[in-house]
Amino acid sequence: MNLNDCHNFDDFRKLAKKKLPSPIFHYIDGGADDEITLNRNTESFNQCDLIPNVLAGGGKPDISTEIFGRKISMPIFLSPTAMQRLYDPEGDRASARAAEKLGTMYGMSTMATSSIEEIVNVSSGPKLFQLYIHKDKSITDDLIDRCKKAKFDGLCLTVDTIVAGNRERDHRTGFTTPPKLTIKSLFEFAAKPGWVFNYLTNKKFELSNVKHKTDKGTNITKSVIEYVNEQYDPGMNWQDAEYCIKKWNGPFALKGVMSVEDAKKAIDIGCTAIFLSNHGGRQLDGSRSPFDQLKEISDAVGDKLEIILDGGVRRGTHVLKAIAAGAKACSFGKMFLFSLASGGQAGVERALQNMQKEIERNMLLMGCKSLKELNRSKIIYKK
Amino acid sequence: MNLKDCHNFSDFRKLAKKKLPSPIFHYIDGAADDEITYQRNTSSFNDVDLVPNVLRGVENIDLSTTIFGKKLDLPFYCAPTALQRLFHYDGERAVGKAAQKFNTMFGVSALATVSVEEIASLINTPKMFQFYFHKDRGLNDSCLERAKAAKFDVLALTVDTITGGNRERDLRTGFTSPPKLTLSSLFSFATKPMWGINYLTKGKFELPHLQDYVKEGTSTNTSIGNYFSTMLDQSMNWNDAEKLCSQWGGHFALKGVMSVEDAKKAVDIGCSGIMVSNHGGRQLDGSRSPFDQLAEIVDAVGDKIDVICEGGFQRGTHMLKALSIGAKACSGGRLYLYALAAAGQAGVERALGQYKAELERDMKLMGCKKISDLNRNNLRFRKV
Repeated sequence: MNLNDCHNFDDFRKLAKKKLPSPIFHYIDGGADDEITLNRNTESFNQCDLIPNVLAGGGKPDISTEIFGRKISMPIFLSPTAMQRLYDPEGDRASARAAEKLGTMYGMSTMATSSIEEIVNVSSGPKLFQLYIHKDKSITDDLIDRCKKAKFDGLCLTVDTIVAGNRERDHRTGFTTPPKLTIKSLFEFAAKPGWVFNYLTNKKFELSNVKHKTDKGTNITKSVIEYVNEQYDPGMNWQDAEYCIKKWNGPFALKGVMSVEDAKKAIDIGCTAIFLSNHGGRQLDGSRSPFDQLKEISDAVGDKLEIILDGGVRRGTHVLKAIAAGAKACSFGKMFLFSLASGGQAGVERALQNMQKEIERNMLLMGCKSLKELNRSKIIYKK
Repeated sequence: MNLKDCHNFSDFRKLAKKKLPSPIFHYIDGAADDEITYQRNTSSFNDVDLVPNVLRGVENIDLSTTIFGKKLDLPFYCAPTALQRLFHYDGERAVGKAAQKFNTMFGVSALATVSVEEIASLINTPKMFQFYFHKDRGLNDSCLERAKAAKFDVLALTVDTITGGNRERDLRTGFTSPPKLTLSSLFSFATKPMWGINYLTKGKFELPHLQDYVKEGTSTNTSIGNYFSTMLDQSMNWNDAEKLCSQWGGHFALKGVMSVEDAKKAVDIGCSGIMVSNHGGRQLDGSRSPFDQLAEIVDAVGDKIDVICEGGFQRGTHMLKALSIGAKACSGGRLYLYALAAAGQAGVERALGQYKAELERDMKLMGCKKISDLNRNNLRFRKV
């Protein structure tokens, strides 16, 4: 199996599973507790059907949209995700280049393994930075200043990781960053010599954006869970979010908003967008899927801020349903991470191309020429 | 596999399965008929989704709740269950001490294998005595008076065991109390020699609340279904419950109420609480799950008595959902019994500690600082 055999999410996932040491694969693939929410995130799209119109006249549909003040070529982009160099030696550089090439947005995590400055040098495409508020407030200020200087288009603050989720696969595999060789995991790593060779022969693994502020995650072998619980501020509140918005003074989103109440507050404090997200089912198991919650949120605030649906998206039709229900765009993490692990930059490009083709094809089958034509009249929720 | 590999309910279950002779494991693990209700008790939680709030500043979480006038540090407790020394030689001693460590309620069954007097001398945290209404009125009076003398905080009358449920796994394994060695069970006992050694050497197996009155369960082998069917009084009615309630004179609960009508009657006869429960799916298969029925009951009587949701809990988020609907507390048996079988007091402590950690984490992720912050606005029922 190689990249040319990857036609959909499951194919990329399979190839990634072949290439990655098992603890790393399961870190991407797993969710919290019983993974009920993880599974529901995708299943929920099947609770809604598309109703096509025919004989609408052909022509290539326009699937571009605008978020964070930037036009993107398709209504899907790369969610900010941590530690991408665990999956491919080029890590964020590969993802950012692939996004630029396809004309969509790349999201960078605070916990990226490339620096803000490094990414600006490799991509002039649309870029979003994802912020975590650390207990050490100077880390927050430093990150915002650097993003401003690097001319990132948007900033988003993650609000659904106030404490780390219970990712039981990580308990079992002993996943840490940087990877730690225990007797149990040794076999897993030995079984993927290609990965180990790349990991050892490329640049040192580090959390490039915060390495000068904290040695956690660089010198000390920590699980992500421990990092989150030690470094992030559990007292984070609306004032802290407002502070970031004022300091940033540009397009700003909260990532991980689920309730209508919070979505309205997001408007009040000056957000231009929200990510409707449960962190890919990795935090609160049993929480509602973004797509199930989309209608309520869109009815309440859809005319006042950009709603980005994050989580569970595997198919072009999923994106179409989300747009029809009221999202401005979708973002995905797992899908592009598996493609990154499968084939680096070429893998991510292929995943984005697949999505672009699926969205275009399905727009034609729906009889829609632009995303504006996708509205609630085009979907029916099953009882 | 050992205790430190147990991260969740199903891990404890697996370890218990390794340690227990199969008839005993299946006595805990099994339920009535086709076990439809047993499965539904847990799966019902998945038809409701949580909608969290963010940015609430959630460093400190208060999980405490007050039921039957007692403040518990946790919104869940150990439901009374029978025969605990069959699962681990410390039995109720282990569970009681673990419950005390977390300052939560410990329920002691009429069919307990350690006496109320001994439990009272071991722990000073809130205690509930679970009462079966026997045909033998002398036995009934004795149980009630002993629980009163031992200063138990609550008396819970079980009302859903008027006859034994059809527990088919027990029919197949030949489970009885005390365990009887039949040709078919011999092999499963022989494969768990540690259990056999402990059973034979760690003190005689007895049912101290009953043994002065009945032989069944102690020196005469009986199945639990058979015990319910032959020893308990099937004529038990609301008058009997009301009399017991006033005879007890303290906090009194009915355990196993499912209908709104009955919940209202429970209020009328002077109960201070009810356990919405189907006995862990072990009695009437096809009956509704406590969580499915909870909202109806809370709407009808939630402002008058403590409504406790019992059964199916395997996760902190399950409890969070029941508390959001309006349960004052959650309880369960399997919740801690597999852990007891897995490792005695240390096992129960690990299990209770994990549920507590899950609840704290889940409350933070929900943006809630105390149990009363949870409400139905945080829930969305899936259309099914």
